[in-house]
Amino acid sequence: MISTVPGNYPKIANRPGGQTLRRAISSFDRGRITADELAAAADEVTVEVIGEQERAGIDVITDGQIRWQDPVTYIAGSLKGYEIGGLIRYFDTNTFYRQPEATARVAWQEPILVRDYAFACQHASKPVKPVVTGPYTIAKLSLLGVYTDLKTLVLDTAQALNQEMKALAATDAPLIQVDEPAIVWHRYKDDWGLFQEAMDVLMDGVGTTTLLRTDFGDAVGLPDFFALPFQGFGLDMVHGKQNAALVPEFPDDRDLMLGIIDARNVRMESEDAVLGTAQWVTQHVPKNRLAISPNTGLEFLPRETAYDKLENMVRAVKKAQEAVA
Amino acid sequence: MEGLWTTQVGSLPKPPALAKARTDFARGRLSHEELVALERKYTEFWVDFQNELGLDIVVDSEMYRGDMATFFAETMAGMEISGLVRSYGNRYYRKPIAVGPLKRVKSFTLDWWQFAQSLTDRPVKGMITGPYTMAEWSYNNYYDTQEEFVLAMAEVLHEEVVDLEKAGAQYIQVDEPAVSTRPEDLPLAIRAMAVVVDGIEATTGTHICYGDFEAIYPKMLEIPVDVIDLEMANSDFDLLDLFSSRAPFTKKLAMGVVDVHSHVIEDKEQVKAGIYKGLQVVPADRLYIDPDCGLKTRTVDEAQAKLAVIVEAVGEVRQELGLDNA
Repeated sequence: MISTVPGNYPKIANRPGGQTLRRAISSFDRGRITADELAAAADEVTVEVIGEQERAGIDVITDGQIRWQDPVTYIAGSLKGYEIGGLIRYFDTNTFYRQPEATARVAWQEPILVRDYAFACQHASKPVKPVVTGPYTIAKLSLLGVYTDLKTLVLDTAQALNQEMKALAATDAPLIQVDEPAIVWHRYKDDWGLFQEAMDVLMDGVGTTTLLRTDFGDAVGLPDFFALPFQGFGLDMVHGKQNAALVPEFPDDRDLMLGIIDARNVRMESEDAVLGTAQWVTQHVPKNRLAISPNTGLEFLPRETAYDKLENMVRAVKKAQEAVA
Repeated sequence: MEGLWTTQVGSLPKPPALAKARTDFARGRLSHEELVALERKYTEFWVDFQNELGLDIVVDSEMYRGDMATFFAETMAGMEISGLVRSYGNRYYRKPIAVGPLKRVKSFTLDWWQFAQSLTDRPVKGMITGPYTMAEWSYNNYYDTQEEFVLAMAEVLHEEVVDLEKAGAQYIQVDEPAVSTRPEDLPLAIRAMAVVVDGIEATTGTHICYGDFEAIYPKMLEIPVDVIDLEMANSDFDLLDLFSSRAPFTKKLAMGVVDVHSHVIEDKEQVKAGIYKGLQVVPADRLYIDPDCGLKTRTVDEAQAKLAVIVEAVGEVRQELGLDNA
């Protein structure tokens, strides 16, 4: 049983000197620093948040997605065909993203995350996983623009991101995580057939270990969810409480990333509650196939609370490891 | 017949001198008294402006508020304020946290309402942020369920509404912009609103924005207030189609006819066209006309120009319809 994180980490801290990136973006917007200087600030903060995840004791970390404005546009904006538009609410959260619009045929141009991943590896002592927002979520949260139907946009985006997956696989990343929150959002489940097709396109010929992570909902009502072409699956157990019903039928030969720490509220989980859940889940899933994680990205929390929650989670995971040993 | 009253959703822009004073106050370079003096000065400036322009229902302009949730949380027992959380791009805010039983320790807005009302004979609208939105935009580190949190918040806000009515407020608006984020919570928001406005005889209203109205209409008409205030201009009035195609809009409607996110000042004919669209769905004696949302993100000049074009357009439509407002 290991500990991990979903993806993003708060970009600024509340301590003095903790607002490097916010100041840099503001200076860049006013033309006072160059794009290179802004990128250097993002690198500096990336190193900082890698260090924080490691200090908290997380086993598999991310680069914190410090360069990402939101979960959609960092990837969509780097593909050919998507133009980034106005602000719109991200699911039922109080955060917003800039909505992409397909203004031309969507295609991959060049690696998007390879440089970020290599940079994170250079500065990390723990394993790092790159995280790609999946094609269904990107297309579903975008405007169709020149496309006349969602299906073609999803499949073109899947084709494009298949190239990105292959580029990441070539870096020897031990695990690539694909985030697809949109498919478990209760109003989008009708797209399940299209989603299955898109995942086949996305994963075609990607020969490495991959994990499909979802949040903001549950995978109940999506038949054969665990038959999708991934080695592992990530489930949100806080906002997708029905996911608990899927755990007893989880296949023996797949990995499970269980999001049980509430990353949208500051309330600390009790160690006993985490321990109880861990003990329950190990009745159904072998412990060497299990990762414990916050249910969603940590940017919904102030930086200090995010860190405290991770430390708390790691303590509970260690206890659970002993308890189920 | 009377009708087509002009009003405002709530906030108006803080002039640069006040914005700077708020920063100086936060950094300890300005005293609280000095800040409040400026807030009063610009409240007076905005009330005078609305008065002279001839707006039917005036607002206090919220010169004293930062964020619409944080302002109330700061003045309430049982709430604390968190560190910075990002909302989008490079924008951060401090999110309130429920840490104990909620209790009103003093009124939130009453003194500002009284001050604003002392400056004009026109009615000043009482304005608070609603219980569902307050809870939705906060963390909950105390109540067992979100429902308990929302209903406890409603009790606190009810006290404020009672005080506003006692002081003479004829219009009280309880803003619930978050209501359209999670349609399945609408019944809870309705129950909470019933607690807030329990026994109130003043005209009550609520402002809702940014949302998935497809999912909450017509159920949203069950929110127990007299007026529902909606943004319309920024979506080309397509909500009106929803009302005419799905179910009649049975309440009073406050209709946004200028886009608060655009620097462009709407043309009078464009605003009149919007008003006439509204009149096809709701009669003049149930229709209020205002901007889409609070104007605080615009410059002072832009906000004034947008309000002026509303008043001018409404004046002409009233004349064309032969409305006879007192």
